[in-house]
Amino acid sequence: MPSNETQKFDSLVLGGGIAGLAAALDLADAGYQVAVLERDATIGGQMIRLSKVFPTLDCASCITTPKMAAAAHHPNITLFTMCRLEGAQRVDGKLEARVTQLPRYVDPDKCIGCRQCEYECPVMVDDHEQGGFTARKAIYIPFSNAIPQLALIDREHCMMCGKCSSVCPTGAVDQLQQEQEFVIQAETMVLSTGFELMTDFPQRAYGAPGLGDNVISSLQMERLLAPHGPYMRVLRPGDGKEPESIAFVQCAGSRDLQLGKPYCSRVCCMYAIKQAMLLSGALPLADLTIYYMDIRAFGKNYEQFFQNAKAMGVEFVKAKPVIAGNNPDGSVVLRYEDQEGGTGAVSREHDLVVMSLAMLPAFSPEEIVPVSAADDGFVMVPQPKLAPTLTEAAGIFTCGVAAGPKDIVDSIAEAGAAALGAAKYMAAKRGGQAAA
Amino acid sequence: MSKLNSGQEAPKIGVYVCHCGGNISDHVEIDKVVEQAGGLANVAVARENSFMCSDPGQEMIIEDIEAGKVNRIVVASCAPALHEATFRGAITRAGMNPYLYEHANIREQVSWVHHGPGATDKAAALVAAAVGKAGELEPLEPIRVEAEAHATVIGGGVAGMSAARDLAAQGLNVALVEKSPFLGGQVSQLDKTFPSGEAAGELLSALAAQVLHDDRITVYTCSELAEYSGYVGSFKLKLQRTPPSGQDQERLSRIGDASPGQFLPFVGVWADQPPEASEEVELTSGAVVLATGFEHYTPPQGEYGYGDLAEVITLPELIQIMAGETGGGEQLVVNGKTVNSLALIHCVGSRQIPGIHQPAPGGTLNEHCSRVCCTASLQAACELREKFPETSVFELYRDIRTYGRGQEDYYLNAGRAGVVFARFAPEAPPRIEAGGEDSALTVTVPDQLLAGEELALGVDLVVLAVGMEPRDNQGLVDKMKLPVGADRFLLEVHPKLRPVELPAAGIYLAGTCQAPMDTSEVANAAGAAAAKAGAILSAGQVELDPFVAQIDQAKCVGSGACVEACLSDGAIEMIDTPDGKRAQVNPALCMGCGVCVAVCEQDAIELNGWTLGQYEAMVDAIVAQTAGQGAKA
Ligand SMILES: Cc1cc2nc3c(=O)[nH]c(=O)nc-3n(C[C@H](O)[C@H](O)[C@H](O)COP(=O)(O)OP(=O)(O)OC[C@H]3O[C@@H](n4cnc5c(N)ncnc54)[C@H](O)[C@@H]3O)c2cc1C
Ligand code: SF4
Ligand code: SF4
Ligand code: SF4
Repeated sequence: MPSNETQKFDSLVLGGGIAGLAAALDLADAGYQVAVLERDATIGGQMIRLSKVFPTLDCASCITTPKMAAAAHHPNITLFTMCRLEGAQRVDGKLEARVTQLPRYVDPDKCIGCRQCEYECPVMVDDHEQGGFTARKAIYIPFSNAIPQLALIDREHCMMCGKCSSVCPTGAVDQLQQEQEFVIQAETMVLSTGFELMTDFPQRAYGAPGLGDNVISSLQMERLLAPHGPYMRVLRPGDGKEPESIAFVQCAGSRDLQLGKPYCSRVCCMYAIKQAMLLSGALPLADLTIYYMDIRAFGKNYEQFFQNAKAMGVEFVKAKPVIAGNNPDGSVVLRYEDQEGGTGAVSREHDLVVMSLAMLPAFSPEEIVPVSAADDGFVMVPQPKLAPTLTEAAGIFTCGVAAGPKDIVDSIAEAGAAALGAAKYMAAKRGGQAAA
Repeated sequence: MSKLNSGQEAPKIGVYVCHCGGNISDHVEIDKVVEQAGGLANVAVARENSFMCSDPGQEMIIEDIEAGKVNRIVVASCAPALHEATFRGAITRAGMNPYLYEHANIREQVSWVHHGPGATDKAAALVAAAVGKAGELEPLEPIRVEAEAHATVIGGGVAGMSAARDLAAQGLNVALVEKSPFLGGQVSQLDKTFPSGEAAGELLSALAAQVLHDDRITVYTCSELAEYSGYVGSFKLKLQRTPPSGQDQERLSRIGDASPGQFLPFVGVWADQPPEASEEVELTSGAVVLATGFEHYTPPQGEYGYGDLAEVITLPELIQIMAGETGGGEQLVVNGKTVNSLALIHCVGSRQIPGIHQPAPGGTLNEHCSRVCCTASLQAACELREKFPETSVFELYRDIRTYGRGQEDYYLNAGRAGVVFARFAPEAPPRIEAGGEDSALTVTVPDQLLAGEELALGVDLVVLAVGMEPRDNQGLVDKMKLPVGADRFLLEVHPKLRPVELPAAGIYLAGTCQAPMDTSEVANAAGAAAAKAGAILSAGQVELDPFVAQIDQAKCVGSGACVEACLSDGAIEMIDTPDGKRAQVNPALCMGCGVCVAVCEQDAIELNGWTLGQYEAMVDAIVAQTAGQGAKA
């Protein structure tokens, strides 16, 4: 628990997604003391929010939760959730990180995660953990396998009715909690802050306020497909219709010079194929179409995965469509240039359209950590060949999507390399000795 | 030892059934399984959770143990390969012996393969079997073996050199074993590396310098693994060093008076004097990192005219030609012939589709994408346009896969530099013919970007972007019993959970022996492998599972049948005792296969954790359950 005193560690890992957890576990296994600093109320990052993961199609929870639990229980790892890094600098050879603990309005030492408060709270709020398709309460535990299992209050929506305080068996609710500042000192740092999707894509691309009716983001589709998702089956959010035709629009925001994002987001081809495969299981009669620029199935067994999807009847159309509007029945009209058929601009309707949105960095290091972002916004790595995880600052490493878009397999491999980089740095400082 | 550890107390079994968020509960009626389990003999509690592996799930087990409600645990969930370790860890945290645990797989063995009421029945039967066995479990202690602070890396390319450097940096001694007289592997065959454009020679020289100047690293060139035995912490390796012959000798003759560490373009980094006579080197190593790399696909004669037409070459050949070219002319000149125009063809020997592509003589197809050839050919295209502005360049591709950081720039720049792209379908690949109006060759291809319109391109050179193939490692694979995937690359345990490990403890994968990767990705993979090996070896001791054979010396009559049957050399041997010859197990070498148990006529051998009594209990439980007699005895 944060106190005003300086807390000392060997390594500070910023971001508790799969990359950060993998790096933290490698360092901790090698005997180093690690702090994982997460801004969210739970560790696990984007991966814990996914349905099943390519190319093996194992369920994301089954792979992520044990890593989360392993980190939470590791004697050499301390987790700090709901923390904001204000700045980090080297002082006398050590990195000093100034951190603000944001209030949960629930005392973490008292809360036992019983959810009584949640049942009692009268306020219903869109649950962003379920794509906004269902509701949660104003006091809530993010989801059933979140770590830590601690309630927090969403003060924007809380009415201060006091119902939660009155039912809490341990008196954990504390509406007076304040932000608290503390310092973490460490020798090395790993930046594993991951990504966000380009949610303002419609604004940037066509000046529209939102995605529009029956057009959803790829992360929302992950929730629809999750076994413990919002409806427990795949329905069109607008009207609850079971969609008969679903389209994926690839490179939505990526590889787009006009939007200033010339890079490839690297995972969306594969997750669209994965989602199409999962949909063909959930909705065997639905037509599935993927509109793409190039299919980038480059990883181990990925091309085989792509060819399987083709053989299963998923339709692949080379085109970059625009959303032309909705029909009265709610279906979405896509317009695109028919390159393969040569019939010029054509329109097609789909019940539901999924946008494979660009990945953007979740964190900009500038002015917080002494490293810079490259032109693409992700953390700069000056020696991509010899030291692919080393940033411009000695002792500060990066991995996962923080260092550019990549999938889980590549994020974990890079996390291993970042952990090794940090361990080597510390061993060298200690005269060639590994961790105590 | 606490009471719980002793296993003396009467069994109080806790059964925990997982929904796996729907993966299991969609097909198995969990409440029925829980109810039936609750009625079995010795079962103290039976519970369910949507994710047993999650923290709340694990907490449930820990609370029951700490409250003294249970002293044996059964979890029914996914395959033990995924989470057996997770649950044993939770039990350890609760202060109980982790081997008082039994796992029932009701996902891979039930819900993923059976639907309908039969699924629930089978799940209940598997749980009953696990409960039956749990009642017979005894506490066990892991086997601890000393770990040698030494690792051996096989392969001296970028992966091997990076791994060696990263292992040494963790304080380990390292043997780097390379077959050829040179370090550097396939990167030696490059001129520039993408996306940074760094010269391959500089990259290799820098890396080789780190390796050659590190006192902890010993480089063995001209060496191959001849013998292999032992186990994690203590592998016994014999290397065979052979004086170079054939192509290697020819390459050596090109070094002149090079000094160690010097890079020779398209040859490699010269490490040391090759051996003059054959010699053997014996090593004891705690871990082995495999970094044996890849091979370029060699097109069979006639594929895209290769071997028939002199003007058809591969991309590595083009790279070598271009490295010798300083530019200056307006056009590229190859073999004395001016190249006005050339076509690069992608995916040669990659992304092959059964039924469309011709298998190799061994019946194999390369169904994988080679990951680097798109960027490599675009890099070549950009360089060509820059150095030889009058040579036109066509890229004939299926998909452009410039996925990595900085790679898309090559695609954009190629377009800006006037490279012309045409996209072909795998069913209708480009056709190459000799002769043309003003050209050496004519390439015809239906272009999908133009609604399938057939293009006829007059070109003077065709360059095949050949893919990466797994190296023929059969010797090593057989000796070390390495798992190989359907794609013929070496196969990791799990791409996300244990991406650089092999099933045999202490053996790790680094680089393109596992799958195609570019140099940065190889460096990452090598670092990840070095981190894993370093973590186990720097502790000085390795823990192994105790599921090994155990001899009851009182029953053993020394027939030696077990020694003959044993599949693992040295795992069981005869020793002299006052009573005569008796069998003895080397726990570190025993694989726990149980062959010896089957052949011993005296029933003198048991497999810890899998005893005959435990098997009987499982069979009895299944019979009772399937006969509908699972109620409390
Ligand atoms: C729709 C979709 C489907 C996908 N499907 C697959 C798939 O099937 N298979 C696959 O391999 N990959 C898939 N991916 C990719 C996968 O999500 C990423 O590879 C993976 O999540 C990367 O992990 P990470 O740890 O780098 O980043 P993240 O998961 O983004 O984790 C970063 C963590 O850092 C925290 N953080 C950010 N900034 C700060 C800060 N300033 N201070 C503290 N903490 C901070 C975040 O809250 C988060 O917890 C998919 C991606 C999407 C969008
Ligand atoms: S705040 Fe109180 S009521 Fe809410 S989950 Fe925590 S302990 Fe339970
Ligand atoms: S991975 Fe595919 S969809 Fe995503 S940006 Fe790259 S090419 Fe586009
Ligand atoms: S990287 Fe490009 S050229 Fe190479 S196999 Fe993959 S798609 Fe084909």
